[in-house]
Parts: sequence; C-alpha cells; structure tokens
Amino acid sequence: MTATSIRPRSGGRPARDPFIGRPTASPQAAAEWTRRQVVMANLRSVRGRAYPRVTGLFREKSWLLFEILLPFLTTSAFVFVYRALQAPPEYIGFVVVGGAMSAFWLNVVWMMAAQLYWEKDQGNLELYFAAPMDVMSVLFGMALGGMVMSSSRAIAVLVVATLVYGVTFAVDQWLLLGLVFLLTLAALYGLGMILSSLFLMWGREAWHMTQLLVEPVYFVSGLNFPVARLGMLGALAVATIPLAVGLDAIRQLCFVGTDVSLLPPGVEALILAIMAVVFTLAARASLRILERRARIEGRLTARWR
Amino acid sequence: MTTSTLPPAGGAAGDAGPGAGIAFGGWDGFDRGRTRGGGLRAQWRGFATAVRLGWSTEANWTDPILFFIYSVAKPVSAALILVVMLEVIGGASTREYRGFVVTGSALWAMVLSGIAGLAWSILEDRERYRMLKYVYVSQSDFLVVLTGRAVARAAVGAMGAVITLAIGVVVLGVPFDPFAIDWPLLAVVTTVGVVAIVAIGMILGAVVMQSRQEAWQYPEAVAGALFLVAGAVFPLAVLPMPIQIVGLLTPLAWWIEGTRLALFEGGLSAIGGPGSAWQALTGTASPSTTEVVVALLVTGVVGTLLATLAFRASERRAKDRGLLDQTTGS
Repeated sequence: MTATSIRPRSGGRPARDPFIGRPTASPQAAAEWTRRQVVMANLRSVRGRAYPRVTGLFREKSWLLFEILLPFLTTSAFVFVYRALQAPPEYIGFVVVGGAMSAFWLNVVWMMAAQLYWEKDQGNLELYFAAPMDVMSVLFGMALGGMVMSSSRAIAVLVVATLVYGVTFAVDQWLLLGLVFLLTLAALYGLGMILSSLFLMWGREAWHMTQLLVEPVYFVSGLNFPVARLGMLGALAVATIPLAVGLDAIRQLCFVGTDVSLLPPGVEALILAIMAVVFTLAARASLRILERRARIEGRLTARWR
Repeated sequence: MTTSTLPPAGGAAGDAGPGAGIAFGGWDGFDRGRTRGGGLRAQWRGFATAVRLGWSTEANWTDPILFFIYSVAKPVSAALILVVMLEVIGGASTREYRGFVVTGSALWAMVLSGIAGLAWSILEDRERYRMLKYVYVSQSDFLVVLTGRAVARAAVGAMGAVITLAIGVVVLGVPFDPFAIDWPLLAVVTTVGVVAIVAIGMILGAVVMQSRQEAWQYPEAVAGALFLVAGAVFPLAVLPMPIQIVGLLTPLAWWIEGTRLALFEGGLSAIGGPGSAWQALTGTASPSTTEVVVALLVTGVVGTLLATLAFRASERRAKDRGLLDQTTGS
C-alpha cells in the first residue's frame, strides 16, 4: 500500500484504496476488514492454493506415466497374487478398489501432511503466515486441489484395472456410495490437515514419517483384503483411520453380497462424518498452537530442521 | 584469474619462460597433477566417505530406536499385507507360499532402497542442500560418490530385509533351516544382486539428472513396475507370456530366485512352473542353481554396462547444459 493511497484528498474525503475497495482515512482503518472482505480473501486463498494442483494435472504430462500407469502396475501385482492363489473374483475387485483409494492416501501423506514442511524448506511458509488470510484456507486449498488431482489418478486406475481384469461391481445404493466416498475424502483430508501441522513440528523427520505412514497404514486399513480379517487390529483401524473405514464401507457398497464387513455401511458413514468434523477442528487447533509456537521460537524461517 | 596467470600448456607447474605462470610467494602455479585424482586408493577413500555420509544422512535424523522402527516397519508391513492375503484365501499351498512371499517382500525392501538411493542423492544434493555442484567438482569420481550413497541406502534396506525374514521365521512360521542354507550361492547372488540394484539406480540417476525436482517419485514408481515382473511375490507363470519374457531379462528376477534357492532349497520357483515362459523355452520345470547364477551374471553385467553408459551420457549432457547446479524449486 502506498502512502498516497491512504492520504485524504484536499477536499477532506479520504482516498479510495485500490486494495481495500473503500475509502480509508489511515493504515489502521485500512487494516480493519469487513466480514465480506475476510471471507473473500480466504476464498481467493483457497482457490489460489488449489489452482497449481489442478492446473498441474494438465501441464505436467509425465504425471500421466508416473501417477497412473505405474500405480496401475503396482495394483496389478496384488491382482496377480490373488490370481496365483485362485482367489474368488471379488477379491480382485477389492484390490482394484484399494489401489484406487490408495491414490488419496498417498496424496494426503505426501501433498498434505508433508507440504507445510516443504513450504518451509522452500521459504514460502513465512509468506503464508504473513499474508492477510487464515492459514486454514491454504490447507483447504491444498486439500481441494489434491482431491481433484488424486481423483483423476484414482478414476484412471479404477477404469483401466476394471477393464483389464474384468471386475464386476454390484451396487445397490449409489447415493450412499457417493456419500460414503465424499465423507471418506473429507475425513482423509481432515487428517491430512492435522498431520501437516505435526509434520511441521517434527521437522526433518517429516520425510521419514511420510515413508512410515504408507505401508503400515495400508496393512492395518486392509488395502488389499477385508479389514475385518484383522480382528481387533482391524476394529481399531476402523475407529481411527479414515482409509480403513472408508474402504470397508465402499467395498460393502460396491460388492453387495460379499459378507466381509466389520460394520454396516450406514454406521461407517456416521463414523466418517464424525471423523471429518473432529479432524478438521483438531487441525485448526493444532495449526493455531503450532503457529504461536513457531512465532515464539522463530522457527518459521529455519530451513532443513 | 586471467589466462596470463596460467602455466604454459604441457609445461610443469612453475616453469619459467615466456607466458609462464606468475610465481606467487609459496605457490608455483596451477598443479595439473592434482586434477587427475589419486588412483584406486583415492577412489576407495571417496567411496568409503560417501557410504559413511549416506549412512549418517539416513540414520542421524532420530534416535536409534525410532530409526530401527522406521527401517523395519515398511518391509514388515508389506510382508504382513501379503501374509494376510494368503490367510484370507487359505488352501493347502498357502504355507509353502508364505515363505515365498515373505522372502520376496523382504528382498524388495532392499531393491526399493537401493534403486532410490542414487537418484534421491542427486535430487537432495542438487535441489535441497544445493551441494551437487561441489560434489561434482571435487576430486572424487562423481559416480563413485553417488554409488557410495546408494550403497548406504541399500544397507538400510538390507537391515529391513534381514529383520523381515527373521520375523517371518519366528512369528509367521516360515519354515527355515539355518544349516540348509547354501552360503556360497547366497554370497554370489547377493553380491551380483546388489550390483544390479545399484545399476538400476544409476539408470534412474541418469534420468533424474535431466529432470525437475518432482522426479523424486520416479524410483518408487519404477520399483512398483519392476515388482510386477520380478517374481517377488507371485510366480511369473501367472503373467502373460510377453511380460514373463520381460521379467526374465531383468537381473532382479534371477537375484530373488537365487536367494530363494539359497535359503529354501526345493521351494516354489518364481521363474519356472507349469505355464511359465521358462518351461516353454527350455522344456525344464524350473532353472537349476547354475542356470540361475549364469542368468544373473549375464543380465547383471549387461544391465551394469548399460547403466554406466546411460549415466555417463546423462552426466555429459547435464554438464553441457548446466543442469548440475540448477534448482527447479524455489
């Protein structure tokens, strides 16, 4: 903001500030935003942070290979394990659905949880905290962009694998399936928002923690098999990990008649809804705590820690 | 420094005469000998230092207990996923198959670390720590240093592999007789296998040297694709014939087969069996120990040569285009 923009005109009326959109008499007055301005700035922040992820889908062609073809091959490996074991056909479907949903988990871990730490490494984090917006809107933007990005990969893996391996879906309740899917994404990305604060606090361990959160979570979530087969461990996973409960519900709804579930899909939808709310609120609280701590300790600009 | 300060071409440092390097007090001019390296001993020193540096980078971010958990959690979980898949399906063959998948997934931990090691070292040093250019201009051979870093990562993976195997034997009931291990075979296939893994890492290193910072995901993606054709967790016979042939051309399939032969003689073969390309091509049920070793040596040597050529070509191109000191992040 320039000095001329806040100086009253000679006639006494304050000048219209181009950034504030209303006449202001002083910098202090300019800093007092209306509720509409706050909301609009945050919405613009959400859009701005989602934009590179959505646009990147079309600009970085190599992602087609690395985000779609190669994950499809990894999913295929587990399909062939079941084929080698002459498993019932629905198990091939379980693997394909698991492979598609793994796209979201990988996105949550790599591009949500570890993102703020990487932003700090690249020197962007201090800009986020200095900008006149709520940092939660940055996280929402990352989540929205990530959802779009991962959806493309998940749909591609699902469609290609379904065609190649001849998976037959039996869906009775499309509406509930859609609701469960959306709730799973909301809970997953809510968890990602919490993890992003924690990873920022853990610092250099973030990279390793990211690695640690992939295979073990796949295992306890039953990525390639019904989570109910894990007994107590599976129940614990359903109560705490959105991927586990979401996968279990989606499998029940996609392959009606296969009795491999832990809880009815309606109950699991409720668990997901609770998770989505709790995780988002917890993410907000943890971000506040972290922001305060980071400001006090001056660690926002400390790279490689 | 201008050209007038350099010694004459072909002349010894400190030569007198027209155009000779200026003689500062205590300095005889540019010593060309120092740019030629110190032979094998210096290379070994560079390699050992790189291994030590790689190990420190990998291990010093946390306390030993957390590092241990981190090192084993991934391979153990990967093995457990497969073991539960076997249990879910059940059947008479699952007990025999359990040893097969535990060995394969344990060894794959080493493949993942080894393949990623060299490529991630390039990306980390160039994009994050911005040290690659200094490593490049140091006296040590660039490839030797990077190989040292890759070996350090492979060692972390090897630790995970050994512990996964131990858990497989102790907890998951994988049949195992330590006195029945073919140690010479194990030593040979492990040595050649590690070289082959590092060679694949070199190819990826050549690729990421030309790529942007987003290339960090390439090693995992390529490892995922190789997982399909290496016979790590299922016999190749279940794959379509052309893909089986691709698998037979990779040293990883032979390394895993050789390790299985050394650890569990008479167990399931990933390469042979009914409907396999091996049986169709040779008429025998499964490859013998000698055939496995020869195939591993041939594919390993060819792979290593190709990888070296690819890496050197990429290195030249990167040097020409200034890619060694570029950072594609902010």
